[in-house]
Amino acid sequence: MLRLLFILLLASVVQVSAEEFSFDEAEIEKKIWHLGGYAEARPGLNLLDQSAAQSRLRYYGRHVDDTLPDFNGKLLLEGSLEKDWAKLFVQPSLDYTNTRLTHDLKLSWYEAWLQAKPNEHVKFLVGKKSLRWGKGYAWNPVAFFDRPKNPDEPELNLEGYWLATADLIRSFDGPLQTVAFTPILLPQDHDLNHEFGSSDHINWGGKLYFLLYDTDIDLIMMGRGSRNASYGFDFSRNLTTNFELHGELAWVLNSSRPVISATGQQETVSGDAVSWLLGARYLTEQDTTWILEYYRNGNGYTRSEMATYYQKVDQAWTAWQQSGASSQLQRLGQNQSYSRPAAMQDYLYLRISQKEPWDILYVTPALTSIANLRDGSFSISPELVYTGITNLELRLKGTALVGSRRSEYGEKPNDARVELRVRYSF
Amino acid sequence: MRRIVIFFSMLLIALPAFALDGQQLLKQIDRNMNPESYESYRKLINIEPNGTRKEFTLYTVKKGTDKMVSLFLAPASDKGRTTLRLGENMWLLIPNVGKPVRITSLQSVVGGVFNNADILQLDYDAEYTVEKLEDKGADYLLHLKAKGRSVAYDRIRLWADKGNKLPRKIECLTEAGMLIKTLYFKDVKNFGGFSRPATMETDSPLHKGYKSVMLFAKIKKRSFKDEVFTLNGMATIDSLR
Repeated sequence: MLRLLFILLLASVVQVSAEEFSFDEAEIEKKIWHLGGYAEARPGLNLLDQSAAQSRLRYYGRHVDDTLPDFNGKLLLEGSLEKDWAKLFVQPSLDYTNTRLTHDLKLSWYEAWLQAKPNEHVKFLVGKKSLRWGKGYAWNPVAFFDRPKNPDEPELNLEGYWLATADLIRSFDGPLQTVAFTPILLPQDHDLNHEFGSSDHINWGGKLYFLLYDTDIDLIMMGRGSRNASYGFDFSRNLTTNFELHGELAWVLNSSRPVISATGQQETVSGDAVSWLLGARYLTEQDTTWILEYYRNGNGYTRSEMATYYQKVDQAWTAWQQSGASSQLQRLGQNQSYSRPAAMQDYLYLRISQKEPWDILYVTPALTSIANLRDGSFSISPELVYTGITNLELRLKGTALVGSRRSEYGEKPNDARVELRVRYSF
Repeated sequence: MRRIVIFFSMLLIALPAFALDGQQLLKQIDRNMNPESYESYRKLINIEPNGTRKEFTLYTVKKGTDKMVSLFLAPASDKGRTTLRLGENMWLLIPNVGKPVRITSLQSVVGGVFNNADILQLDYDAEYTVEKLEDKGADYLLHLKAKGRSVAYDRIRLWADKGNKLPRKIECLTEAGMLIKTLYFKDVKNFGGFSRPATMETDSPLHKGYKSVMLFAKIKKRSFKDEVFTLNGMATIDSLR
């Protein structure tokens, strides 16, 4: 009897262990449609620097405390329908922003396209799409047909442009393993892609990709249209199992930027601009990933141009305080070029992330810093990401901006920011 | 003296033949595990010491000795991630990021004990030379040495069943002989024309208490164009299913 009980017990244990790892084929059944996405909440707290130039331009005439909480929410949906060689894909994003000063709800179509892939050598796509060209992690000077990405959040989705494109792909044996050609047509007028540049142009360009001697190489060009003609080159290569090197070079013909002159007037400075980037990714034996990038912005402001701008903001602020005249502050505030990310010329990006330290699975602490090498100012952002719960990602991130007066990061509106991001994927 | 010369001459002739046998055996083990070109589904399960699990489901396609691509089907947070291996090159496409970035074989896109080299494992014969073949009763023991420096594990000890010539256990070691992880092959099943282990478990002295499991399903021989295994092809792998 005891033996029978033992056998039954053993059988039940075997049953449990056999069921312990099951792989139901229903899990892998393919449907012709897919619906997914994520919902995200991002409460944050900003510590304002009320005497900074960007803070004065943004908040003048309004009472703000030194601490400004905000709440950002996002619902990003993805839907696709796929049958044989055709695929329809849409990605709408609903974004909500709420601070003490403003609140906003905005619906954007990040992507919406139809793709035809008659065979493995060729595919065609028409619709709204973000191309994300370039090999850089924080910056992509060769991404001529994309919106600029934020180096503080380089992995976020970007809204695309309406365009038509194709991929023509050939593989070979030997040192040249792949060649791919990607032509682009991007129409632009006051209704379509109006943020792309000056209106009423059919913009064109393309990318030629090679995988040559184990190195990714792209040759990129954009013809003159809504924007100036541009030529680009990028590469990426794994030098060892744990070391990757990448770079980009962009040459923009007759590039221009608005400059505030010593008289306070806005002038346009034009000339060919060469921007480039060199970066590396290194993984240590302890699973620490280092990403280091140097970025030279050929169309960035010089230190003296930036100093003149800050001086003019100071003068406009004094004038407003003394006489109540806000026209100068208004005019300077409308010039977004000085407040854009990487507005000056020389930058260094460093990100160090440690995967699962002390064997704590699914926890990744990271430290990111972006330094302006011209004026010595920088941002530093420690963060902690936890992904231990299926489909849930928690990220706590703090950012401190460090710099003297009249330096780029010293004149940003915030001294510091702390943010919790809760993202649930479905 | 003449006998000694003959003995050593025969030994010199026999040694390369024995080495060749080892490599042939490794080739046979590779072919017994998978057809040269195939598609398959895999489930990866990471188990923490407290029993908590995290599961990933992948669709994998392989061609020849140096081309492989894997698409994450689940969980939702990872769906659409695609890893491509072309010889010594590896890339990861994250749908949010939108472009393939180069990754290294020692990284892990899933966490746990499996790294990218385990997920995108090519034929052992393509990456390793058999240095020594030992007879261990019911098993062969093959001592493998990496052909190049880009391979994730410098040395491998592979125990293969003499009867079905399938691996039973693999130890992955550093060049200095330090054990990185051990893979255990279990649950031999018929996949329509050939039989192979349907379960691979792994543990590591570097991740004490943690375990990772890989389950295989629907391994089918299938041929693919080379263009499937390109950066431009990564975003459309799901269309092959």
